[in-house]
Amino acid sequence: MGDKALSGLKIVEYGHLVSAPYCAKILADLGAEVIKVEEPGIGDEARRMEPFLDDVPHPERSGLFLYSNTNKLGITLNLRMATGKKIFKELIENADVFVENNSPQAVKELGIDYESLKEINPRLIMTSITAFGQTGPYRDYKSCELVSFHMSSFAYVNPCLAKDASQEPLKVGGRQAQFYAGLSGAVGTLAALLSRIATGLGQQVDLSELDCLIPILLSPVRYYTYGNQILCRTDAKEIAPFHVMPCKDGYVYVVCIDEPERAWQRFVKLMGNPSWAESDLFSERMSRAKCWDSLQPLILDWTMRYTKEEIYRKAQAAGISFGAVYTTNEVVHSEHLAARGFFVEIEHAQSGKLKYPGGPYKFSETPWQIRSPAPLLGQHNEEIYCQRLGYSKRYLVKLREAGVI
Amino acid sequence: MSKQVLEGIRVVDFTWVFAGPSATLMLADMGAEVIKIESHRHIDQLRTVPVFAEGKPGVNRASGFNTLNRGKKSCTLNSTQPKAVEIVKKIVKISDVVIDNFPPRVMKGFGLDYSALREVKPDIIVVSLPGFGAAGPDKDYVSWAPIIEAVSGLTSTAGYPDGPPLGAGVYYVDPLAGLYAIIAVLSALFYRRETGKGQYIDISQQEAAITILPEAIMEYTMNGRIRPRMGNRDDIMAPCGCYQCKGDDKWVTIAVSNDQEWEAFCDAIGNPDWSKDERFSDQFSRWQNQDELDKLIGDWTRDRTHYEVMRTLQERGVAAGPSFNIEELINDPHIKERGVFVEVDHPEVGKRIVYNTPLKLSATPCQISGPAPLLGEHNEYVFKDLLGMSDREISDLVEEGVIY
Repeated sequence: MGDKALSGLKIVEYGHLVSAPYCAKILADLGAEVIKVEEPGIGDEARRMEPFLDDVPHPERSGLFLYSNTNKLGITLNLRMATGKKIFKELIENADVFVENNSPQAVKELGIDYESLKEINPRLIMTSITAFGQTGPYRDYKSCELVSFHMSSFAYVNPCLAKDASQEPLKVGGRQAQFYAGLSGAVGTLAALLSRIATGLGQQVDLSELDCLIPILLSPVRYYTYGNQILCRTDAKEIAPFHVMPCKDGYVYVVCIDEPERAWQRFVKLMGNPSWAESDLFSERMSRAKCWDSLQPLILDWTMRYTKEEIYRKAQAAGISFGAVYTTNEVVHSEHLAARGFFVEIEHAQSGKLKYPGGPYKFSETPWQIRSPAPLLGQHNEEIYCQRLGYSKRYLVKLREAGVI
Repeated sequence: MSKQVLEGIRVVDFTWVFAGPSATLMLADMGAEVIKIESHRHIDQLRTVPVFAEGKPGVNRASGFNTLNRGKKSCTLNSTQPKAVEIVKKIVKISDVVIDNFPPRVMKGFGLDYSALREVKPDIIVVSLPGFGAAGPDKDYVSWAPIIEAVSGLTSTAGYPDGPPLGAGVYYVDPLAGLYAIIAVLSALFYRRETGKGQYIDISQQEAAITILPEAIMEYTMNGRIRPRMGNRDDIMAPCGCYQCKGDDKWVTIAVSNDQEWEAFCDAIGNPDWSKDERFSDQFSRWQNQDELDKLIGDWTRDRTHYEVMRTLQERGVAAGPSFNIEELINDPHIKERGVFVEVDHPEVGKRIVYNTPLKLSATPCQISGPAPLLGEHNEYVFKDLLGMSDREISDLVEEGVIY
């Protein structure tokens, strides 16, 4: 047993973009061995997505790919060809886990569905991440981040404080549906691995992007089930302040909502006890929300005098939970994050030394660690096919010429 | 009934509000016995904020607490009292995991930090979810989900194009941190199985939030640029947006990712003349002329319901889906068949809808074991059945304000 939490685990990944690759990355970063299977010549579609280093759109320079595929061994294999399928099954024979995010239809056509694979390896855990899941009327529907996000109903309540219903429901930045599904996939995989200790058998873990976003929706669910209310992005706040507010050099999140009114009282003191704050209207969080239109400009007058950093630090020092709305550069240069060593430098053969977000957890016995950068396309073909599966280098040449690898 | 993933595992749960409890919710659904350490002295906020059943306030009537804490047990211990701390240690001695989401000084203040707990049970697994991590200059900062959203850079990436940053309408960073907590617990359980060793894992909610925005971070670390807010739009897909449909505040999303899908899309909408315009002839031109394209597509969707649009386009392999509200989601046929929402019967507020854990394991499925606990509901179970205390001991402790 190695010194990492998941040392000794063998995972095969056949995924693209975010959900399956990120699921596998999480497990790889905690010590599992991950062999990432990519299509010969073109590879994971994330390789073709920006941002690219120096704006050079090269398959070894995609920031998203480089981040989502750390600690993995990379091989190329054409699963549409009979020989490719045969080789794939050899890989599966010795694997603990197979992670993938292909459509159920594609998986069936390729013959890599769970029913087929469990015949080869009854201990195999197959984690399948799709937009809609392995069952249900939308199973074979096409999706993407935008569609998954909106269908989950998250977008309907987003952003908070939309001006009116003419402002459309909005997705947040990035690929959240896919990241949540990837994370949930890691949870499901680990759960199945723990079960296997008792049962000796594998199983399939079915994850749907749509399902995975729903635990975020505690508020819409509870307002509906207990209050018969359908929350919407145009709803006014019930308590205040709870607002993103402009300040001298950007924005801050101003939040004073705890009971008793400790935060608000501390904030009033921080503002120098202005006389307007003596009004009864402003003493309680719900009444502050009701008269927000008159309160907002009064607070704005104060926030506009200071930078986000000044406001953030002064407030937190006084025990008030405000937050600076940091832009990306400010996050990357954060002293707190530097002290924690959160951003890590990784060296890659083609992209050189770059700074990446690290892991958000610190394990006392089995630290999170980057052992190797994302693989070049087919980088580990020789290691896996020759050293592990016993094929000769000459054989590999033929496989390449035939388009199998 | 099939065996559950975490059968026989006991979790001592100090978490409250959203992030931590969303983690222990999944652990409960996987079969772990989750014992919440609560106290009348400091009641979980989700027990005291509306919406309440029938509008009547009460710590057992709160929608937030009841939805998020089903299947868990509750005992009341006033951890500021040394005797209570000793009792917590007795529970830890027969447990596997301790989890909290406080800044580090809180558990340390109780005398229940990792080194203290490890003395009680050497292989204990302790997971902490402080806002800013257990170490670092900002470690004692107070945080709520919107604060984490702000300081992680997430708020700055959200908003309509050409508009200011906008706060998210739900606290999405909380369940995110929760997912990392579960990954930590399960990996640590796996490692302990192999080696017999426990460990301490501290998860920074701020850092968890940053891990899901690599596109923004890498754009900056590679090219020194800040990605603009894009709203519903994409780097290159077009059309890609949210379009108004028939009805009151009804919308549908449509995304076309290549020229073949564009042909299918045009076919689906009856090949109108405008679709043959050179401005929309290939992906790049469509992306450049998105504004005009969106208007024309909006004219088509406006006369149709969002379900109609989805069906018409999906029939031809084009990604489209309604922008559901919560009621539509709960009643959608696919969601119903997947069994996402189920009813749970609660002793005080009756039958209420909750959402299932989204993991579908074919052999050892997750299960909802029961409703959310009443405050202190399991005091007898924990103190008498698990710890073997006598009725007299328990009533004395209640009088002393230890069990409180």
